[in-house]
Amino acid sequence: MYKILIILLLGFYLHAQDKYELGNGVQISSYPIYLGGYFSVDYRNMNNENRYRLDDVALLSYGNYDKFSYMAEVEYKQLYIKTYTQDTSFSSSDTNLYLERLYADYNYNENYMFRVGKYNSPIGFWNLLPINVLRDTTSFPYIIKNIFPDFTTGLNLSYTSFENDEIKINVMLQHNEDLDDNYNNYKIDAHYGFGILYEKEQYSLKLNAGYFNRADTQDILKNRNYILLSGKYETEKFQLMSELGYQSSKNKTTTPYSSYIQGSYRFRPKHLGVLRVESYKNRLTNIKDSLAIFGYTYRPIYPISFKSEYQFHSIKRENKALISLSVMF
Amino acid sequence: MYPKILFSILLSMQLLQAGEYAIISNKSIRTLSKSQIKAIYLKKLTIIDDKKIIPINLDSRNILREKFNKEFLHISLTKLKTYWIKQHYLGHRPPLSFKSQKSVKKFIEQVDASIGYIELKNINKNLSIVYKWSD
Repeated sequence: MYKILIILLLGFYLHAQDKYELGNGVQISSYPIYLGGYFSVDYRNMNNENRYRLDDVALLSYGNYDKFSYMAEVEYKQLYIKTYTQDTSFSSSDTNLYLERLYADYNYNENYMFRVGKYNSPIGFWNLLPINVLRDTTSFPYIIKNIFPDFTTGLNLSYTSFENDEIKINVMLQHNEDLDDNYNNYKIDAHYGFGILYEKEQYSLKLNAGYFNRADTQDILKNRNYILLSGKYETEKFQLMSELGYQSSKNKTTTPYSSYIQGSYRFRPKHLGVLRVESYKNRLTNIKDSLAIFGYTYRPIYPISFKSEYQFHSIKRENKALISLSVMF
Repeated sequence: MYPKILFSILLSMQLLQAGEYAIISNKSIRTLSKSQIKAIYLKKLTIIDDKKIIPINLDSRNILREKFNKEFLHISLTKLKTYWIKQHYLGHRPPLSFKSQKSVKKFIEQVDASIGYIELKNINKNLSIVYKWSD
């Protein structure tokens, strides 16, 4: 079914308007329908192993009419991987097409919005713009994949006020299976969560908490609770972002802490330096790690991103270098 | 004596040059706060008085566009361009842009719930003021 969708979307491209700017997508004729996408290629060097990967080849479509809007996104994940070790080499290819997002929005009035479908869980800041080309490093913090479900399939109700500063409250409700549970960090059949965001000029503060149920295990600890506190400060050249999370199950702590703080500085219009410090402890896997990441990003234009980074871990075998090219179109 | 006269002349010239501007609509929109206008132009706020609101910009090289950005958005054009590329991933489009105040006026007169900004002196009876500011 997804392949039919992708063929339709590509067919729409042929009817796209002439004027095109990279990173802005295209409009289909004069209809309020837009198409876009992104892809990423990366290289990783770790423990004398070199990995080359074509990842995240995605096509998205969205549009709006009156108070309604929609978003659809399909993606090839890890489309091709080639790995070289000291003695051998091997390759793999995942040609499955995954459904990343599919939702419809209804703006009831200036304060209330309803969403139904599969969407990025609006938790923290990083998870809202999680794709390589839009983030500052090739890697993502541990907290993003290990505290809460990245995607929710169900309802999202939000209230926003812009009277003076921005205040946004949202509630996520999932009581069903995932639209595509192969594309989520946790396979879940329930997720209930809320978030509150406060924004004033360059400062943003957010609190999220919730509960989800893992559908892929009968483990006694399949029910999870999480809490996440996030903060962001942003100027023209500088951004400081931090998230701190905690996860528990049945009154037992599964992840007592997982956190990062990341500073990025645009020292030339196209050049960005990044420093991220992370720390986490997972009691289920019994892994505790702290790491520092030094990164550099070059963007000849914003939708094209060349990134490099080196990670220094307290678990030395996890040290790695990453290089990537990502493009949004 | 002379420096005082010179200062007075310069001050008067400055006051004469100080422009007055307005956010305008076609009488279908109530007055708005500064933070609401910012939210509308960043497409965070899309409904006002039960109507889908259509914000209109002037071309990015227009001086009045720069003044508007400085007054309401507090964001450079480069940063704004980055913002709209991120919004493309989230399914939002930037406001429409027109080359002249004349075309902004014409559009707003004809399209319900649209808003834009022009110099105060260019307002006519078909338009209402949603917000007013000066240099």
